[in-house]
Amino acid sequence: MEPSNDVALDIIVTNVVSVFRTRCHLNLRTIGLEGNNVIYKPEVGKVLMKLRKPRITASIWSSGKIICTGATSEDEAKLGARRLARCLQKIGFKVRFSDFKVVNVLAVCSLPFQIRLIEFTKNNRPIASYEPELHPAATYRIKTLRSTVQVFSTGSITVTGPNVQSVASAVEQIYPLLFECQKTLV
Amino acid sequence: MSSRQCQNCGGADIDIDQARGSAVCTACGSVLEDNIIVSEVQFVENSGGGASAIGQFVSADGPAKTPVLGSGFHTSLGKESRAQTLQNGKRQIHSLGSQLQLNQHCLDTAFNFFKMVVSKHLTRGRKMTHVIAACLYLVCRTEGTPHMLLDLSDLLQVNVYILGKTFLLLARELCINAPAVDPCLYIPRFAHMLEFGEKTHEVSMTALRLLQRMKRDWMHTGRRPSGLCGAALLVAARMHEFRRTVKEVIRVVKVCEATLRKRLTEFEDTPTSHLTIDEFMRVDLNEECDPPSFVAGQKKLKMQQLEQELARKLDEYQGEISSYRDEIETELENSRPKLRGSYASYAKREAHDDSLSGVSELTEEGEDLEDEELEAAAQHLNQDFINQVLPELEQGPEGSAEAQELGKELAELPSASTHVPLTALLGPLPSAASLGLSDSIRQCITEERGDDNKSESGELDLEGIDEDEIEKYILNEKEVQAKTELWMKQNEEYLREQKEKEERIAKEKEQGIYKEKPKKPSKRREPIRASTAGEAIEKMLEQKKISSKINYDVLRDLNSKGSGGSPAHQAEETPVPGPGRKRLARRKKQPNKGNLGLAKPASLMGKRLRPLISSSPKKKKAVAQVVPNPMSVPPATPEPAPVPASPPVIESGPVAYEEPTEEDEEAEAEEPCVSAMELMGGNEYGREVEEEEVF
Repeated sequence: MEPSNDVALDIIVTNVVSVFRTRCHLNLRTIGLEGNNVIYKPEVGKVLMKLRKPRITASIWSSGKIICTGATSEDEAKLGARRLARCLQKIGFKVRFSDFKVVNVLAVCSLPFQIRLIEFTKNNRPIASYEPELHPAATYRIKTLRSTVQVFSTGSITVTGPNVQSVASAVEQIYPLLFECQKTLV
Repeated sequence: MSSRQCQNCGGADIDIDQARGSAVCTACGSVLEDNIIVSEVQFVENSGGGASAIGQFVSADGPAKTPVLGSGFHTSLGKESRAQTLQNGKRQIHSLGSQLQLNQHCLDTAFNFFKMVVSKHLTRGRKMTHVIAACLYLVCRTEGTPHMLLDLSDLLQVNVYILGKTFLLLARELCINAPAVDPCLYIPRFAHMLEFGEKTHEVSMTALRLLQRMKRDWMHTGRRPSGLCGAALLVAARMHEFRRTVKEVIRVVKVCEATLRKRLTEFEDTPTSHLTIDEFMRVDLNEECDPPSFVAGQKKLKMQQLEQELARKLDEYQGEISSYRDEIETELENSRPKLRGSYASYAKREAHDDSLSGVSELTEEGEDLEDEELEAAAQHLNQDFINQVLPELEQGPEGSAEAQELGKELAELPSASTHVPLTALLGPLPSAASLGLSDSIRQCITEERGDDNKSESGELDLEGIDEDEIEKYILNEKEVQAKTELWMKQNEEYLREQKEKEERIAKEKEQGIYKEKPKKPSKRREPIRASTAGEAIEKMLEQKKISSKINYDVLRDLNSKGSGGSPAHQAEETPVPGPGRKRLARRKKQPNKGNLGLAKPASLMGKRLRPLISSSPKKKKAVAQVVPNPMSVPPATPEPAPVPASPPVIESGPVAYEEPTEEDEEAEAEEPCVSAMELMGGNEYGREVEEEEVF
């Protein structure tokens, strides 16, 4: 996953978002009052629970749907989710761990060269779009992988996609395009 | 007008006065008609003395029956919705465009864009003003006018990012490649606003050169063009001896002071800034610079590298020292005679002393390291040492006194020199290690992931979960009570509101006027009983009343067969006198349609079983909903008391039905479609027909 072409690129996964269901109704008030590290927001109708070991934050709804964010890898996300379910089990709900799915993965990568964004956008219309008035990066959306790559002029890129594999493929796909438009010093 | 007989006297001589519009019998003088409608052209005198005809032009498209009554009455009378939208859009484009001083050609192009947008249904769910603004900005970009998105958002008082989002989407959907913004475009405009008088042109030229230089130096990528313009203009003004303060410039350019200053400092860092004015105008430096953010990033990288090297070196030395220490300790323990009793504690203390002094000797050999780090590290280490030492010393008789002395000794040591900041060092390292590991672990585990069958069954796989840790996450009784109190206090307001709401609901229930707003029971429809597919489609369509634009008569004709024929006939008869009413009714209908906000059919599809909007689904759903099979529609409640009226639907219909049509139940209840229903032996077959008339 890391090397692309001849260069070994460090793709660092910074955030993994996942969802799962407990298939049972949860009483948010109970969780809010008995949990050690929870914030209960009745206006919105959810409980925020933060775990320390895999450092993740989970939003828990009373329907039993839970969203976990903050993990740094897919496995960590799963582990954290299971921990969370175990915790809820201990509080006293009949949780079942079902439908675990990683929904979004965010990764950053730093390329060793700078990029001419305007040229890059021109070559890749309409997949790429660059609006300096709005955001300093050019966004490149890959429909097949359902991933988005944001390219900054310094050479660092952020990639978001539905799983780690797509993120890696996105980087591999975009690398040659960026290589063409790199800023070579005169 | 053919002459008639007077009713009073029977005379045939009737005088018709066109001017007064009256018909009078000359024999007896009785007025037969009072307001005859004339179809003559009438003239009116102008201020200049000339005559002009009275009348108004009516557009060729659009139904002929729409008189535009007066200037303000634009929410019209039976014009088609599409034409209205376009007209409305055109008007808004013109008003907004004239504020921006766009020429007619641009406005026309913008209107063309708008027409394309409407035909692609991209206006749905978006505010009209946003769409208009986006079309205008699209034109500005393609024509290269010096208008910024910020200007538009200023005029509309809308967040610029929201406009930007709409703009990006439209550009993508219409496949229009807007060329990138060149800051050079804005220079003349801003220069003009800064009032340089006669020298405006020269200042502009200088600023342009500066900008080009900035581009070569990579200051412009990823930055707002207006910020760069501001910096360039400021410098150019100074070069030509105009005193423009930063405040004046930012007022014109619309960036904040911090940005401008930053751009100036960045420019200062480039070698071009060192040239004198004359040199700059003449010479162009060949070398290019790195973008400023890149430079900053590089600096950070270097700092990190330095720190890592430092850490590594420390680590090495630490390793050496610890190995020495271990050796010394073992030696000492072996060589020393074992004391008993009270001496044992002394021996321990001495052993520690020796080891410490040993460490200090070694470390005095020293490496050159920064003192601050060491101080902090040393203190850290001291803590560890003290913690280690204390439990052992507790056994001794002197206990705490010794510990204190030991502590003092330890405190003296750091001043000596390097203390190996073990814990401090070990801090950052594991994270790097874990990063490296996670990748390889992921690779290893990917093959094994297929074994997770447990998750599908819903059971919780307890592998790898530390039970003790989980226990920590749950509070015990006392803590729960404390937290309950705290939480109650914190959320008092919200709880109070909830109670009030509940009381209100209870009261209303008692009074019987309570409407459960968010919970709408799904409409149960009876299953459609039809003999052929065509019939089924027909019935379903009529049940749902999807769109007023479908000519149901024609559709029915296409599909009707057999038993469907007779009600079709009936329906045909009834609609014939209908069209006038249809139009009338539609007029009233349309404002309501607008209120829906043009709900997306897809979302409505999903919510069909629990319609959020009570009256609308039956009438406003898109044709797309025809596709999901009618059989899935849950049976509707059978019509309440069949309305006894015959098909006087039309007569009694339109006026009476206008408002009540909003409440479906009532409308349906009043539908006098009994005969049709009975004929079909089904439900609501004719209902749709009647409602259609009412439209």
